[in-house]
Amino acid sequence: MGEVIVITSGKGGVGKTTTTANVGTGLAMLGKKVVLIDTDIGLRNLDVVMGLENRIVYNLVDVVENNCRIKQALIKDKRYPNLYLLPSAQTKDKTAVSPEQMKKLADELREEFDYILMDCPAGIEQGFKNAIAGADRALVVTTPEVSAVRDADRIIGLLEANEITQTHLVVNRLRMEMVKEGNMMSSDDVVEILAIDLIGVVPDDEQIVISTNNGEPLVGSESKAGKAYMNICHRILGEDVPYLDLEETNGFFKKFASIFKK
Amino acid sequence: MKEKVVIKGTKSGIILVLSPEESFETLKMAVAEKFEKSADFLGEAQKAIQFQGKQLTDEQKMELVTVIQSHCRLSIVCIMENDDKLEKSFQETIAKQQSMANQNSGQFFKGNLRSGQVLDVETSIIIIGDVKAGAKVISRGNVIILGSLKGNVYAGADGNYNAFVVALDMDPMQIRIADTIARSPDKPKRSKTKETKIAFFENGNIYIEPLDRDVINDIRL
Amino acid sequence: MSFLSNFFKGSENSSDIAKNRLKVAITSDRAVCSPEIMEQMKNDIIEVISKYLDIDTDGLDIKVTKTELDESSGTINALLANIPIKEGSRNFRKR
Repeated sequence: MGEVIVITSGKGGVGKTTTTANVGTGLAMLGKKVVLIDTDIGLRNLDVVMGLENRIVYNLVDVVENNCRIKQALIKDKRYPNLYLLPSAQTKDKTAVSPEQMKKLADELREEFDYILMDCPAGIEQGFKNAIAGADRALVVTTPEVSAVRDADRIIGLLEANEITQTHLVVNRLRMEMVKEGNMMSSDDVVEILAIDLIGVVPDDEQIVISTNNGEPLVGSESKAGKAYMNICHRILGEDVPYLDLEETNGFFKKFASIFKK
Repeated sequence: MKEKVVIKGTKSGIILVLSPEESFETLKMAVAEKFEKSADFLGEAQKAIQFQGKQLTDEQKMELVTVIQSHCRLSIVCIMENDDKLEKSFQETIAKQQSMANQNSGQFFKGNLRSGQVLDVETSIIIIGDVKAGAKVISRGNVIILGSLKGNVYAGADGNYNAFVVALDMDPMQIRIADTIARSPDKPKRSKTKETKIAFFENGNIYIEPLDRDVINDIRL
Repeated sequence: MSFLSNFFKGSENSSDIAKNRLKVAITSDRAVCSPEIMEQMKNDIIEVISKYLDIDTDGLDIKVTKTELDESSGTINALLANIPIKEGSRNFRKR
């Protein structure tokens, strides 16, 4: 039976879609059968980040409304044969799908896939409720900024209220040099405020912009962000991976490894 | 008293119930009278017709159709035999008739279509503007874009393989003609020159070629 | 420039400011319950207190507010409950 993971954040623009694309691709690289679901109806994005936008014929709403079978709507990734995308509809709105329908869909996909990743829209309205409906666990993405962290806290509360207890934190776009200057909260600071377990710290990396331009997730590449995403994948599989040394010169970040070991 | 002729209307057709006791000539006059009276009510429409009650030869049926058409503004597109799936076949026939008419007629649309917007038309469509990535045009006939095509186009949406798509700047995400879908290559080759191109269906594939004289000669409307 | 501004502000840098502001904001976010939860809590309070006192359930009012404990500590969030006791009721009923 597969596991349903929702990637959420509350605030927009912190990297949910990038995280979904990279974690999903990474899990597929590690041999898992993975499907990514874009639940942001009306504003789809995951397809372009994955570079699959030209293959969309059917979408999530078509599946839910029984205009097609699930298999017809699943788009096979161009690099990894065990990775699929279920794109969102661009022309409908959030009310086209209900949480019950999403749960049913997730349960059907569980039979066939090891991991079902739900890319959640920003906000806490119906789109969010749809995305978390069938989820077993959640990755909460935040950046070390007050607005993103505050929204993340709200989201964590809502996830708890919906009985999603396995919730992990991804601190995205960390800039080590700013942390050192004292002008950016460290991932330690964010974890202290949010009080949930950390599963990954992704540095701010211009390679991400380039990879999004090309529609090819960078997970597994030699770039720092690529390594950080691959580590998150290993941790999702339950492996104990030391945290990346985001600053090559000294071991400032090594202490994470000891603090957040399960 | 039993009526000699009864008109029953369905959504897309007419059922004409004729009394089996009366002679064909009497019925013909009754039909003429009846349709003339109901002309305003029936209005102007394309209908299929079915005869019930009396057995008629094909010639007699045609004669009645002529009588009906000369006494009201209806246009009878076909004569239906008795059938369980009557209504369905009526509709299909009418739809086919309409779509054939539609393929050779067109509409204009002025403006840019942006991501999430869908333009769905029964006829051919001429778009004066751009179809941007994420936008979609659906037409039963042909699609002519006087601008750039970067989104999705579905021409010949009711199964017409002769449908085609023309754009001044052809860089589509997807083109669909009848039930065949072509998508853009994953590694786009950036051709600098903007050239008017046509996308058409041939031998199971969709081809995109410059719109030159040879191609124009092959267009079937 | 950032070095200079940090220098003049003393020890507190912008990440510490962010952290402290967030702590305050989040505590008050967490303390605010949804109306349903407040209603549920109100009913539970009535149930418990009614065991001991005759109270005026209609006049009961609860809310979460900011309040100052004493001068040294700043504001904290507190649950304020205003529970009128019915006149003539015998206090401390036997259970």
